[in-house]
Amino acid sequence: MQLTKYITKDKETVRRETKDSEQLRMTVHASLLAALIAAGAYIAVPIGPVPIVLQNMFILLAGLLLGSRWGLAAVGIYLLAGACGFPVFAGGTGGIGRFAGPTGGYLIGYLPAVFIVGLLSKYEKTTLDVVGMILATFVIYTIGVTWLQMITGIAFSKALAVGMYPFLVGDAFKIAAAAAIAKAIRPVMRKI
Amino acid sequence: MAELTGAFFARENSFLHRIDVRFKMIFLVILSITTIQAGFAGLFILFVIIVAAVILAPISIKGLIREIKYFFIFLVFIFVARTLSTPGEKLFQIVFFSVTLVITKQGLISGPLVCFRLFLVVLLGYLFIWSTYPSQVRVAVAWFLRPVPLIPEKKVATMLSLLMRFLPLILQEAKETTDAQRARCIENRKNPVYRFIKLAVPMLRRIFLRADDLVLAMEARGYSENRTLPRLYSKTSDWLSLAFIVILSLMMTQI
Repeated sequence: MQLTKYITKDKETVRRETKDSEQLRMTVHASLLAALIAAGAYIAVPIGPVPIVLQNMFILLAGLLLGSRWGLAAVGIYLLAGACGFPVFAGGTGGIGRFAGPTGGYLIGYLPAVFIVGLLSKYEKTTLDVVGMILATFVIYTIGVTWLQMITGIAFSKALAVGMYPFLVGDAFKIAAAAAIAKAIRPVMRKI
Repeated sequence: MAELTGAFFARENSFLHRIDVRFKMIFLVILSITTIQAGFAGLFILFVIIVAAVILAPISIKGLIREIKYFFIFLVFIFVARTLSTPGEKLFQIVFFSVTLVITKQGLISGPLVCFRLFLVVLLGYLFIWSTYPSQVRVAVAWFLRPVPLIPEKKVATMLSLLMRFLPLILQEAKETTDAQRARCIENRKNPVYRFIKLAVPMLRRIFLRADDLVLAMEARGYSENRTLPRLYSKTSDWLSLAFIVILSLMMTQI
């Protein structure tokens, strides 16, 4: 009898401690994905005429692996780090001025994008993941190209030609890769 | 890794280093907004002040150029696009095979203006990074976020430092995994998706396992969010420079 009492009490503590440790684990994983997004700006895969920067693939992966809430946190931390002047944006330094610059719209667009991917990744179905990623890419380009067109004042069709069309092939490649990677990495993340 | 450690933070004791971090961040925001409003004359004043700061600090100009050289390509692109697509009074046109390029007076004025603005903002960002400890930035961010509801500022500060700690680790893992795959003749495979997945999956797996080790280490050392961050002190000179920057930005928008 005494033993059962002791065990039930212990379960309560264990439950609380597991919750704390789960929080810490997600904090570290979100920072890790933020770092991966930042590193993605430096790792370029030379395929085709435009070198493919892996940055937005890691944005998609953040949504796929962390879910909507923590994915949003990861992207938020990444953007905050960039705004504070840490060297995390593609093409070196920038600081808060980057948001006002021509590529600022893409950066802002990452936030709704990761949220959408995170929402649809809850079911861990590859088809839903891919649909979510396509939607997210569409959102990033809508905000990004509109912003590019507003800041530089060039015609909308030209903004599409420089800010969207060259990257579409690469994006298809990234979506395919992200789906495969998420499938392989999810078991590792679920392990503990 | 080399491209990351380049010429970012410099451990010196210039007048830029001595300004409080929070003030420097406010300066950046004020001046970035001002450049959008200002015309050529105002931008030129700011440019002169930045050049003076670069010479006084003193910042190595070679390192500065190396850091922002890719940005120049971007500037050239914006310049061309802006000049060619602004409607207005026609100056001259170039007929290039079947394409007619019209260059307008308005385009020739607004192109350099936009480029000048972006160039100054990047220079300001560089000055900030050059003169500020990353750990101080973290503390300042936590300070700014304290009044904001719903955002745990200490957790954000922790995540920022973890982010900076993870960056070199990821690049190192990426390099190691690339070398390992190359040793296994990955280059004989032509399919890019296959090649990429065979690189990314082991790399990410190893990085995530290392992150889990880190979680255990943090727990074992009793990590909690109730910790004290270092304090920041503002001096009279900080307030004086704030007054200077505010007057400067008002002047820039008025000219």
